[in-house]
Amino acid sequence: MGAVGRWVTTIFLGAGPVVIVPQLVAQQPSDSALEARVNELDQQVRVLLRLRELAADSAAAAAKDKVSATASAKDGFSIKSADGKFAVRLKGLVQTDGRFFLSDSAAPATNSFFIRRARPILEATVGKYLEFRLQPDFGQGTTVLFDAYSDVKVAPEFAVRVGKFKPPVGLERLQSAGDIVFAERSLATNLVPNRDVGLQLSGDIATGTFAWQAGIFNGVPDLGNGDGDVSDAKDFAGRVFLQPFKRGILAGVGIGLAGSTGLERGTTAASALPSYRTPGQQTFFRYTTSTTTPANNAYANGRRSRLAPQAYFYTGPLGLLGEYTLSWQEVTQAATTAKLKHTAWQATGSYFLTGEKNSFRSASPKKPFDPKAGTFGAVEIAARYSELDIDDASFPTFASPTSSPTKAKAWAMGLNWYLARAIKVVVDYEHTAFDGGAAGGDREAENFVVSRVQYSF
Amino acid sequence: MRIRLAIRGWIILPVLFALAGSRGVAAQAALKPVTLLNVSYDPTRELYEDFNHQFASYWKGKTGQDVTVRQSHGGSGKQARAVIDGLEADVVTLALAYDIDQISEKGGLLPANWQTRLPNNSSPYTSTIVLLVRKGNPKRIRDWGDLAKPGISVVTPNPKTSGGARWNYLAAWGWALRQPGGNEATAKEFITRLYKNVPVLDAGARGSTTTFVERGIGDVLIAWENEALLAIKELGPGKFEVIAPSLSILAEPPVAVVDKVAAKHGTKPVAQAYLEYLYSEAGQEIAARHFYRPRLAKVADKYAAQFPKVTLFTIDEVFGGWKKANAAHFADGALFDQIYQPGR
Repeated sequence: MGAVGRWVTTIFLGAGPVVIVPQLVAQQPSDSALEARVNELDQQVRVLLRLRELAADSAAAAAKDKVSATASAKDGFSIKSADGKFAVRLKGLVQTDGRFFLSDSAAPATNSFFIRRARPILEATVGKYLEFRLQPDFGQGTTVLFDAYSDVKVAPEFAVRVGKFKPPVGLERLQSAGDIVFAERSLATNLVPNRDVGLQLSGDIATGTFAWQAGIFNGVPDLGNGDGDVSDAKDFAGRVFLQPFKRGILAGVGIGLAGSTGLERGTTAASALPSYRTPGQQTFFRYTTSTTTPANNAYANGRRSRLAPQAYFYTGPLGLLGEYTLSWQEVTQAATTAKLKHTAWQATGSYFLTGEKNSFRSASPKKPFDPKAGTFGAVEIAARYSELDIDDASFPTFASPTSSPTKAKAWAMGLNWYLARAIKVVVDYEHTAFDGGAAGGDREAENFVVSRVQYSF
Repeated sequence: MRIRLAIRGWIILPVLFALAGSRGVAAQAALKPVTLLNVSYDPTRELYEDFNHQFASYWKGKTGQDVTVRQSHGGSGKQARAVIDGLEADVVTLALAYDIDQISEKGGLLPANWQTRLPNNSSPYTSTIVLLVRKGNPKRIRDWGDLAKPGISVVTPNPKTSGGARWNYLAAWGWALRQPGGNEATAKEFITRLYKNVPVLDAGARGSTTTFVERGIGDVLIAWENEALLAIKELGPGKFEVIAPSLSILAEPPVAVVDKVAAKHGTKPVAQAYLEYLYSEAGQEIAARHFYRPRLAKVADKYAAQFPKVTLFTIDEVFGGWKKANAAHFADGALFDQIYQPGR
């Protein structure tokens, strides 16, 4: 600013008040009127602010009462009441497999891409104590109801389950289909029931230190998935499972014992007997059946019992799981009856190369797959060995030694890539060798590769 | 037979196992710490904070059992609805009997004769409705009639959600009825004018106190006597004055054990003792210290000086009881809905 500018400013600032002040004084209302007006405006502003405050309180209170809708990989899509007492959750599991058999010249099996499992899962919480689950499966072109049950959870120590669900016997069977380490369960799972209809009491004492289940079921053959019964007698199943250590390296130890018993009386037309499958899902053992002389068909005719000691150990990225299963069944063929005992066992080990914590449930990658962020997800390697030993007394009366082996032994290795909690890619190779089971000696070994893309939420 | 025995074994053993492992073993329950939930109305926070502490000491000394009392406060009607909807109150200490009647009728949580189970209609202390004005009473408010004058700004909560607000409304209505030439029509006209002077309707009595005292809104607060005296005690006599109207209503806030909830929680004996302790000399002292009018003559005499002299009428005398008052004035579409339109 130049000297002229400063001079002009001085004139204006100095003379301004002389001109303006008298005008203001002339327009000013009386003090009391002004005060009244100020008070009135002050009250109006205060009222408006208070109304806004109350509206915000009301909105916050209303939000608390609102039904909430959520979506997550862990819990699927859910709608929940404000108090959490009522909820509906929609979950899903889809597994797309490619199964390829290598060197299957003697008994060719079909190499195929297929939908192994396609399960929409509906879960509901009704009130404080009641829960419900419905799980059909549309995989492999068929519709099968897997779970339809309700739980009344009175307390952690005591709950009642009614409907169709997994009887509490096999450890690997009790692991969810989306959580198992390999694409297919081991040979040992052949000897335990899959799903059955019944009533189960259960409890979890001292926050998981001791869990127990005891139930009454229709009774199904080994590996069976039943919706009804073929006889009046019922099966009883029970399991106790201990996780005795809460801290330290042994905190991941779980050890248990499960079993079932009951009478099963089939007929030559409905045998109530199982057949057993390889990990490649090919039937390798079946009891005697005859299309020409049905009267010679073998059938269940007496007590069926199972015993399954089981354990797992998880520490850091390492997981070990093992079980031994025994299955007894009284079987009749024509005029001959025998009590047959089959045994099986399996040991599975898995390790997360990317350091994730291993557990009985699926892992959640520390860094989900994101090419832009340069993260890869979680990688797990796994190995397994399993055996199934058929009672020698089964042959030749109750099963044909030229078509059913006396023993199956399988080893497998696998690679699991968890892109995110919800997405898993599996590649497994499994080799199963047999003792007997063919006219000339041993049945041809099964070698297969299975790849899977699994989406679960 | 063998199957039947086996079934029994399979069912009974796990049940016994669960019971043995659970914490519900009867022998342990006697000395197990216990928690009560007292669902109350807005202005009783301080009263029950004090009372709960003293009751816990009393109960510990008497039985050796630790008791913790949790409090929940809000508009009385709103609190009653919360209990009906599942808020598990062991005891309710609400602003008016009608709200507990609702818990009995709609929730089925306690019997209809609940009010006969404790002395004085299950109301261990009383209060009334007074006017709180700013120091010096700049608008010269002396009685109910002044509240309906133009230019007076009145603060009172919403009778649809607040028990205290209903007492306020009925006190004003009762005064109008008892004026020379007073009848239902003149009372309605008076109340209509009064509520035109209300700029903010809070959900509960404590909210209205906040509006008047802390937010500086309005010329007069229609308030529980205990709330008005507490405001003066907390904020100092230099800021507000209590105006005792020529006529007001006898407010009898009732208390009750919520039988079904208390039975479910196993807290019925301690809940009953909790309410009975309100009638004891120690309980009455605490009530009086928090400006509730005690029932016990000895304590009432001791604290007589702190309560202004007001001529009181009861709800039964003027309105025929809470049921009738509610149906005529506060039910949906009743008189209050007719005279008060939000936003007008």
